[in-house]
Amino acid sequence: MEKEQTEISRREFFKSGLTAAGALAVVGTGAFWLNHLTAEGRIRHDFLRPPGAIDEDEFMYGCIKCGLCVQICPVQAIKLAKAGEGLAFGTPYIDPREQACDFSCDALQCVETCPTAVLNFEPFKKAGLFAVELAATQAGNDLQQVNPFEVQKVAMKSIVRMGKAKVDHDTCLAHRGKGFSGISRGLNFKGNYRAPESEDASASPLNEKTFDRDPCNLCVTECPIGETAIIQALSRSGRKLIPRVLDGCTGCGVCVMVCPTKEPSIIIEPY
Amino acid sequence: MISDYLISGKNKTPFKPKSVDQMPHSLSGLSYKEWRDARKKNHKWRNIRWSVLLFMNLLFVASFVLDLSVLEGSLSGSRLIGFYLMDPYNSLQLLAISSTTGYIAMLTMNFWIGFITILLFWFIFGGRGFCSWMCPYHILAEWAEKLHNYLIKKKKIKEHHYNTALRFIFFVGFILLAVLTKNLVFENLNMVGIISKSLIYGPSLLLLWVLAVILFEVFVSKRFWCRYVCPIGTTYSFVGKLSPLSIKFDLDKCGYCLECQKVCLVPHELWFVQRGKATQNVHYAGSDCTRYGLCVDVCPGNALTYAVRGASSLT
Repeated sequence: MEKEQTEISRREFFKSGLTAAGALAVVGTGAFWLNHLTAEGRIRHDFLRPPGAIDEDEFMYGCIKCGLCVQICPVQAIKLAKAGEGLAFGTPYIDPREQACDFSCDALQCVETCPTAVLNFEPFKKAGLFAVELAATQAGNDLQQVNPFEVQKVAMKSIVRMGKAKVDHDTCLAHRGKGFSGISRGLNFKGNYRAPESEDASASPLNEKTFDRDPCNLCVTECPIGETAIIQALSRSGRKLIPRVLDGCTGCGVCVMVCPTKEPSIIIEPY
Repeated sequence: MISDYLISGKNKTPFKPKSVDQMPHSLSGLSYKEWRDARKKNHKWRNIRWSVLLFMNLLFVASFVLDLSVLEGSLSGSRLIGFYLMDPYNSLQLLAISSTTGYIAMLTMNFWIGFITILLFWFIFGGRGFCSWMCPYHILAEWAEKLHNYLIKKKKIKEHHYNTALRFIFFVGFILLAVLTKNLVFENLNMVGIISKSLIYGPSLLLLWVLAVILFEVFVSKRFWCRYVCPIGTTYSFVGKLSPLSIKFDLDKCGYCLECQKVCLVPHELWFVQRGKATQNVHYAGSDCTRYGLCVDVCPGNALTYAVRGASSLT
């Protein structure tokens, strides 16, 4: 009797073991396939990773998909990828056309909040501290003249590299010698940002602002980084003022969000 | 007392079954049937537990949607008033991959604090206590179980049992898969994560997978995911192996009615309630016990109680 029972439980164990092995094999094949897909790079090229994102290979396993970065973002630029959005399911991304990262949080809170450092805060911390030290030395150690928070903030956001903006010469209004007046994305657009001239610390809706520019230069004037990232320059022919992206561009995507053409005439190319 | 704390007593020689005079119904002067049916509709601990479970999960949602910022993140990783908490199995997978690639050095202090805090917390509060007091899948599975039991009773379906050791295969298997594919594979199948994130960040297609598993539990095998698969539960059962907070069994008050095993998610942990099986006057439920307290609610003689091991009963 006893022997029979162990026989049964042994058989049952093997049956269960085989089931488990089969299940894991199916899941494993699926995972390899997904990995293969994502190894080609991001499928949606118009999506960005949040600031401070490390290489995709490591991002894939380092990100535990908790969504803390999503929750802390004051403009809710960060979203978690749904199944079928190309990026690995549940990982964070930014769609700059819908809502760009406008740095209105000031201190890159999404990066600081990430527990597994797939948004890696170390370089930002170093850059910030270095900048504060430098500013203090330059001010002759007169700390009254230096606002360390301000210095740190500028230094940290200037080393963000989510991608680099690229202007489409064929559709850009400035390239075609045209101006723009009105509400850039229409009244129904939901995006928010903190305009560079704004005194208010929090972001405000883009559809509350009316622009009147000739030629159009929204991408230049609304850039949160300023003249190290994008400037208005004379075209080669010398007859038109066109936007020119410089190396200081952080790829935050505010230009993509404010661009008034139907399809954005400026896009961010991820690194 | 120390021996009570450490040894399950399973290998000792059992006591002889109690005689009729020693049975609790005789001692209180009731018939066996009267005694047994005394607490049939008692739902005290279930109601407390459901309230805690719903409150915590809604606190996650409210923290994001209403911007309360009390309990941010999701059950995969969260922050309670600025204090990090990490899902232990998620963290184990991440540690396994990152120790092969060297990424482990990059992990932040917050990660380590969160990982260790959660292990300590659930060590104190009974390991798989997470399952029944926190996990949003658990409550769905409880309802599925009710339906399943009804169908069994009506003889519409047959019960299917598997070996509970399956869980260990999945526990190791998913870690191996994570290392091999360099991807947190399990996170895409994880009931806890999928439901928690669907509640907080909006529904996702993977809810179909949750539905599939629930249907399997309703029609084929009772509590399949929790009993045989979930590696998070397995992790917590390791954590709770020697937890101070446990379910205490008092042989004196037991009438061998087995109502507790009928409602238990892991009846093998209540092996000592059967006639002639107990080897000590006091037993504590083992590490698979989720401390969900249905047995405490149904036990006619109050033989099962929440207790700190070695100390007197709490309830």
